[in-house]
Amino acid sequence: MLKDITIGQFFPGQSSIHRLDPRVKIIITFVFIVIIFFVRSFIGYGMILAYMALAVILSGVPVRYMLKGLKPLLFIIALTFFINIFFTSGEKVIFKFWFFTLTQEGLLQGVFMGLRLIFLVAGTSLLTLTTSPIALTDGIEHLLQPLKIFRFPVHELAMMMTIALRFIPTLLEETDKIMKAQMARGADFESGNLFQRAKALVPLLVPLFISAFRRADELAMAMESRCYRGGENRTRMKIPKTASRDYIALAVTFLLVLGILLNSYL
Amino acid sequence: MKRANISVNYVARSAVIAAVYFVLTTVSQSISFGAVQFRIAEALTVIPFVDPAAVPGVAIGCLLANLSSPLGLADILGGSAISLAAAYLTHKAPNRYIAILPPVVMNAIGVPLYLAPFFSQPYWLVAAQIALGQLTVIGILGLPTLSLYEKILDRYSKSG
Repeated sequence: MLKDITIGQFFPGQSSIHRLDPRVKIIITFVFIVIIFFVRSFIGYGMILAYMALAVILSGVPVRYMLKGLKPLLFIIALTFFINIFFTSGEKVIFKFWFFTLTQEGLLQGVFMGLRLIFLVAGTSLLTLTTSPIALTDGIEHLLQPLKIFRFPVHELAMMMTIALRFIPTLLEETDKIMKAQMARGADFESGNLFQRAKALVPLLVPLFISAFRRADELAMAMESRCYRGGENRTRMKIPKTASRDYIALAVTFLLVLGILLNSYL
Repeated sequence: MKRANISVNYVARSAVIAAVYFVLTTVSQSISFGAVQFRIAEALTVIPFVDPAAVPGVAIGCLLANLSSPLGLADILGGSAISLAAAYLTHKAPNRYIAILPPVVMNAIGVPLYLAPFFSQPYWLVAAQIALGQLTVIGILGLPTLSLYEKILDRYSKSG
C-alpha cells in the first residue's frame, strides 16, 4: 500500500531530455514559466505548443501519461475559466442572466487563461517527469552555490536533502507498520469529521517521531565516528557535466523567448 | 572548522523531520495539493519554535513533498522558500501562541504570489483559500503537536 509510493513523478527513461544536465533543465523550466506570462496572442501559444511538443516527443513520455497529471487540476482549470469569463468586462454581450454577463471578450479571456494554466502545468511537470529526485536536488544544490557568499549553509542543506531522501522509504514502511498496529488495536484513520480524523493521527505521530529520533541519533553517531565534518574538501562521486545537448536546449529555448517577445511587443 | 555551529546531530534531525513531513503529506495525498489544501504535515511547521533543527527540516520536507505537486517547479521552489521564512519566524517567536502565526500568515501572503498568476485568479481569493486550509490544520493540530514534540524530544533524543 504505502510502500508503492514513488517520490515525485519521475518517469524513468534514457532520452536526450532525461540526460540533460539537471541545472540546465531547472533554468530552462524557470525561463519557460516566466516567458509564458509574456504571451499576448494565440500565435504565441502556438510557439509554446510547438516547443512543448518537441520536448515531449524527444522525452518519450507518453502524452496520455502527461494528461493524467492534469487531472487533479481539472477543477481549478474550470474555476479559472469561469472566473475569467464572468469577471471580464467587454462590449459584445453574448447573453445576460441575473448579474452574470457573458461577453465575447470574457470568453476569449477565459480560454486564454485556461490555456496558460494548462501549458504551465504540463510544461513544468515535464521537469519532474524527466528528472529523478536525486538529480533534481543535486541540481538545486549546484544552483544555490552562489549563496555561499552570504554564508548560507548550502552543503548542509544538500546533505539534509540527501539524508531525507534516503529515509523516506524507511519511514514510509515504518508508518505503514504503525498504522496497521494501531488499527489492530482499534484505531480508526478513515472515518469521522475533520476533528476526529486529526485526533486519530496522534497515535500515529508519537511512535513515528520516536522512531525518527532514534534513527537520527544513530545516524549522527555513525557519521561522527566516520569523521564527517561538513562540506570542505569533500569530493563527489558524480560530477555534473554540460554536454553539447545542453547548449542546443538552451539555444532552442532562447529562440522561443525571442519569438514570443517579438510577437508580443512588435 | 569554520562552520562548527551546524552539528552532525542537527543535520540528521533536520533530515528526519523532513522525511516525516514527506511521509505525512504522502499519507494524506489527496487533500495535500492545490489551492484549498488541508496538508496535515503543515502541523509540523510549529516545531521550529522548540527545535531549531526543524527550520531547514520543514523547508526541505516541503520541497521534497512538492516534487510530486502538479504545479511543478513553482511549487517546489516557491513553497519551500516560504516555508523556510515562516519556520525561521516561528523559531524566533516570543511565545507558543505567536509561534503558530507565521506558517498561516506567511503562506497566505506568500503562496498566492506565485499561485494567483498561475491560476489567473484574484490574489485575495487564493490567499483566502490558503489561509483557510492552513488555519484549519494548524489551528487544530498545531499546539497539540508542539506539546507532543516537546515531550518526545525530552525523553527520546539524547542530544536534546
